[in-house]
Amino acid sequence: MPGQIDDPHSRRYRALGTGLAVPIYVFLLAPIVVTVPMAFGPTNALTFPPASYSFDLFRIFFNSPAWLGSLFESLKIAIATTALAMIAGTLAGYWMARHEFAGKGLVTSMIMSPSIVPIIVIGLGLYLYFSYLRITGTTLSIVLGHVMVTLPYVIVMVVAGVNKLDRNLEFGAELMGAGPMQMFVTVVIPQLVPSLVSAAFFAFLLSFDEVIIAWFLAGPNTVTLPVKMFNALHWEISPVIAAVSTLMTALSLLVCIVAIGLRKWTPTDV
Amino acid sequence: MSPAVLAVIFIVLPPLLYVFYTSVYGPPLSLAAYGEVLTSKLFRQTLSTTLIIASLSSLLSLLLGFVVALHLARQPARRRAILMLLVLLPFWTSILVKCFAFTVILGREGIINNILSWIFDAKVQLPLVLNLVGLLVGMTSFLVPLVVLPVLASLVAIDEAIYRAASIMGAKPPRIFWTVTVPMSLPGVFAGLLSIFVMSLGAFVVPALLGGPQDQMLSNLVDFYNREVLDWQKASAISVVLFGMVLVFAAPLALWRRRKV
Amino acid sequence: MFNTNGIQRRYLGMNQQTRKEEALEEVQPNLQLQGGLRTFAFRPQRMRNEVNPMQDGTVLGARGAHAIALSGISKMFGSVTALHLTDLSVDKGEFLTLLGPSGSGKTTLLNLIAGAFGPTTGTILLGGRDTTATPPRERGIGMVFQNYALMPHMTVFENVAYPLRVRRESAKAIHDKVTEALERVGLRGFEDRRPRQLSGGQQQRVGIARCIVYSPAIILMDEPLGALDKNLREQMQGEVKRLHKDLGTTVIYVTHDQEEALNMSDRICLMSSGKIAQLGTPDELYFQPCNQFVAEFVGESNLISGEMNADGLMMIAGNRSISVPGAMRTEGLELLVMVRPEKVRICGMDEAVTDNSNQLTGDVVSSSFVGGMTRVTIKTDNGLNITAKMVSCRAESRHVSGARVRVCWSSSDTVVLNK
Repeated sequence: MPGQIDDPHSRRYRALGTGLAVPIYVFLLAPIVVTVPMAFGPTNALTFPPASYSFDLFRIFFNSPAWLGSLFESLKIAIATTALAMIAGTLAGYWMARHEFAGKGLVTSMIMSPSIVPIIVIGLGLYLYFSYLRITGTTLSIVLGHVMVTLPYVIVMVVAGVNKLDRNLEFGAELMGAGPMQMFVTVVIPQLVPSLVSAAFFAFLLSFDEVIIAWFLAGPNTVTLPVKMFNALHWEISPVIAAVSTLMTALSLLVCIVAIGLRKWTPTDV
Repeated sequence: MSPAVLAVIFIVLPPLLYVFYTSVYGPPLSLAAYGEVLTSKLFRQTLSTTLIIASLSSLLSLLLGFVVALHLARQPARRRAILMLLVLLPFWTSILVKCFAFTVILGREGIINNILSWIFDAKVQLPLVLNLVGLLVGMTSFLVPLVVLPVLASLVAIDEAIYRAASIMGAKPPRIFWTVTVPMSLPGVFAGLLSIFVMSLGAFVVPALLGGPQDQMLSNLVDFYNREVLDWQKASAISVVLFGMVLVFAAPLALWRRRKV
Repeated sequence: MFNTNGIQRRYLGMNQQTRKEEALEEVQPNLQLQGGLRTFAFRPQRMRNEVNPMQDGTVLGARGAHAIALSGISKMFGSVTALHLTDLSVDKGEFLTLLGPSGSGKTTLLNLIAGAFGPTTGTILLGGRDTTATPPRERGIGMVFQNYALMPHMTVFENVAYPLRVRRESAKAIHDKVTEALERVGLRGFEDRRPRQLSGGQQQRVGIARCIVYSPAIILMDEPLGALDKNLREQMQGEVKRLHKDLGTTVIYVTHDQEEALNMSDRICLMSSGKIAQLGTPDELYFQPCNQFVAEFVGESNLISGEMNADGLMMIAGNRSISVPGAMRTEGLELLVMVRPEKVRICGMDEAVTDNSNQLTGDVVSSSFVGGMTRVTIKTDNGLNITAKMVSCRAESRHVSGARVRVCWSSSDTVVLNK
């Protein structure tokens, strides 16, 4: 800032803070910095930095029916999950933000529970429950499982968005003669667009990256990309994983940019 | 719109209730599974490993996360937005990508060992992965972005004028740090620490991929009973215990959040 | 006529006077056509200026069809009573102000009329129709909000068109009505702006246009000018009054600003802790406050307590007596009386005092010059603090603290309050 008084004391501490923070930034970014170059490396060795650069690993990935199949399975599940979670989450979130009722705290904590309960517990519960319903191994079962874990985040983001809206606008619209649904569509939804877009991206990414529930529920024909990757990392680490990782990171980066563009960080600080 | 709320409840509740049900109904109805689990050596060992790793990785992450949050909080708004990318990108990065990267970085032929070999001009093959070190590195990488956000929120919430007031009254930066920054960010620190601790209690992917056989946590034990032993009653019983532990630590967090609202 | 005008100038200050002159200007064009209108137009004004102790809100409310009739309504939030059992009737075309400090129940009352929530007890009749359980959209009410409540994602045109679109009116009708409404509030040419590109005053004009565009029978205004600065607020007061006059709509206006209430209303409903403290014309509230709360909330006041003696005088502190208006009261009756500071005169020690005046001697404690008026506080010899207010003069001739003075006021300016 021009005109700021240069205090050597605070400058020294500022430098100390930066000196401590930079290695941590490096540590946080290391996984990305390492994987992306390796994705363009040779197909026979996992070394960093790669000895030579090519698109061979991506070629292998896109020519492998198993990898491609899991990619499409993941996309299918993520899209279905996002659609369902957005519909249910927007309606439920709006309703919860605008209504006071007995036991609201209980209902809220029930709805929010999947964000606190260890995913493994949810995964096991879904596995046992869906076995009883005889739907394990289906795409539907994974979608339902993912809806369960993404909903709390969607609801939190919708509630936060609704809380920022001026209630008088909704009341005013009703006073001017709009019915509840008309009011919701013409007044609430247009104003919520930023929250809804970031919630949708977030839901999509959560579902696309989700391992544990899919690990419990996936059948032979419904292996998602993360499950296939988890298996691969567990048994034999092949260089193709670098390409898969890079694709997943690119998706994360996209979501990250959207999130920043919409000035909504994450649901954790809500 | 209330049907949406009901639908949500009906999606969320049955699986959780089903775990409780399975844990006590073999058949017949009994708490036998809990008795067997709680007395088994494997469970006790895993429980202590879980608590130790969760505590270690949470504290380590808090320390690193606080440094980052403090650095971010002291930046002008525009630069902070750019630097936030350095935290948000890892936040959104898949845990699998991180695990893969750290196996490459920490492996016997990995980047760290290669650098060390080059420095000491000798073949160094430190075991850094599939053990406690690898697990802690992976957990920290996973948890730091999660703790930065609440801590940063509470640091940014501190009124700039308080710093100026402290400074005008003659306090030097270290004193301002200990008398203003630390106490006023405590709520965010406390909330952040609890939430990453709760999250690390249920860690599954990182111990499975970066930890050794002795570093497996309760989640991995649940998976083991479910997949290898095919004993769903015990798997459920362990899940319920894990759930209970999480509730104990999440309760103060929920209370604190409610008070904040 | 001339006489009452004089009283008004002295007692209500600048505001009231400007208001009156404005009213005169507004009537002028009509006057050129019909000479007789002048008297007609000013009759209500004159009635208002006459102090008529018999005139009471309920008398007004008793005639004709009411735009709003609330009977026996009350509102509890949990165990908190926001509004105690209340009856209130508003005539068609009336401008009624709900005045009171925050938490007095005025917003609760407004929200009950609007239908934001239902009453705990009682019925709400709008235009003679029982609407106690009617949803807001079927009440035929318009509302102007303090924070404007404009749709940020719509243009000015779309904001004003919203109630018409909801009613599925034709594009032509919408265009014509919106244009007319924007014309009325002086915002032609702003159709394509977004609310956030407008100033506060302009945004509130959009809010008003959106409200009048569908001609609701009743318009509710919830502190509509509260977010504006003083000068703009006074200008907008004039505009709102003009609109009310042109449209003849019933207006319920909520404010905590007593000057605004005095300036704009036909009647004021002063609320305190969930009850109606006094309902009446601005004059009644100012000149005939019924109790201490009203006296202190509307304008400034000197309160003096005492008890009647055998001679029909009121004994006050320091064994002094003052005369109070009204019929003979029984001895020993405790009384609380009020004198407005602008009715208190400060005289020199040797100045002659006219008959029928009360007088006390004391020392000037402080004298504060606040523009047009100077406020002087006097500590009387019998221990009372009396405030006097007078038109300012230059510093040389203002009363200095420590000066010995006499304070006098006419007994007819003394108002007896209900305890």
